[in-house]
Amino acid sequence: MPLDTTVSPVVLPEVEAAPDELTERILDGALTLVARWGVGKTALADVAKEAGCSRATVYRAFPGGKQHLFLALARRELATYLDAVLEAIDAGEDLADALTRGMVVATRLIRDHDATQFVLEHEPGLLLPFLGFKQVDVLYAHTEMVIGPHLERFLPAARAAWLSEWCARLFITYLFNPDPEVDLGVVDHARALLADFVLPSFAPTPAT
Amino acid sequence: MPDDARSRILAATVACLGRYGIAKTTVDDAARAAGVARATVYRQFPDGKDQLISEAITWAVAQFFTELAHAVDDSPDFATLLERALAHAHRAVDEHEVLQKVLETEPERLLPQLTQSAPMMQLAIRGYFAEKLRGERLRPGVDPDRAADWLARMGLSFILAEGGWDLTDPAAVRRLVRDELLVAVLADPTVVDVTEVTK
Repeated sequence: MPLDTTVSPVVLPEVEAAPDELTERILDGALTLVARWGVGKTALADVAKEAGCSRATVYRAFPGGKQHLFLALARRELATYLDAVLEAIDAGEDLADALTRGMVVATRLIRDHDATQFVLEHEPGLLLPFLGFKQVDVLYAHTEMVIGPHLERFLPAARAAWLSEWCARLFITYLFNPDPEVDLGVVDHARALLADFVLPSFAPTPAT
Repeated sequence: MPDDARSRILAATVACLGRYGIAKTTVDDAARAAGVARATVYRQFPDGKDQLISEAITWAVAQFFTELAHAVDDSPDFATLLERALAHAHRAVDEHEVLQKVLETEPERLLPQLTQSAPMMQLAIRGYFAEKLRGERLRPGVDPDRAADWLARMGLSFILAEGGWDLTDPAAVRRLVRDELLVAVLADPTVVDVTEVTK
């Protein structure tokens, strides 16, 4: 059954499942299976087996079935991912350092996320619709909202929001169209790219 | 002319995609729309439907950028060229009926196809930009090829989505191009052609 691609995992509707230990175990099981053989081939019965519970328990935790479970999983993974990126940004000493850390962590984490890599390679139709045209506008708006405030210690809010969007664009272009000479998972590469092409527009201007 | 038949089949296939979608378009539909025999389509596209559709989408993308280059090529300088390209491409995407229809009904089939043509588009735009940048005064230390690669990426990114920028607003496009994208590349991106100021 194809998943409903009109619901963006980027801005997920509130999923009401309480994050208890059992729910987490079910989501962990689903994550393992997606990394192994993808979303399409993962049935709720497999998830139950992987999580060591009954099918009925899975349905109790996710009454909406597969769609519900995978939205909750995407939401959880995205939240964990963003937390790590924000933590990296917050550790930066100055603007260049914060952006470099954020970019490197974002790149490395997505590369190491087996489930995302499997879906990108074998089931791109599940993810890509959210990364082009009107849907990616949703992602940019969300990035501005979530990452923007973490850059406000260096920049006015509007500049911080735009810079977040710009970095999201940079991240996406290298994710889908890698350059053998530019690896954003490498600190020096990320730092040089940002310094050469992005940061000059954010040079401190004399106070007005 | 075999090339002619090929283009006609590809154009007809794109029209079919707008009418029936990616999943439902058949080799027969394409042959009928192109006014050629089924066998002719198979001679050009021996792997059948998948090859036909994949090449038709690549062809449509190439058409899009050829028309875009044609529309902006006579720009007086690079900054103006980039402004015009972003505005023109944004409008062309909005008005592209086949693209909009398939985006709405089958994004999960279209986006992977477009993603596959992304490296090809990026290379083509990079080459075009690199040549145009050679006539410009660059910021000290800027390598025109690297800058062209970067700007091709950003150009594609903005064609795919405008984000927080209103690309239908010429003043916004101007700010985006001259105050942001080109600050790192051109020696003086804010210099404006005198004839334009007086308009």
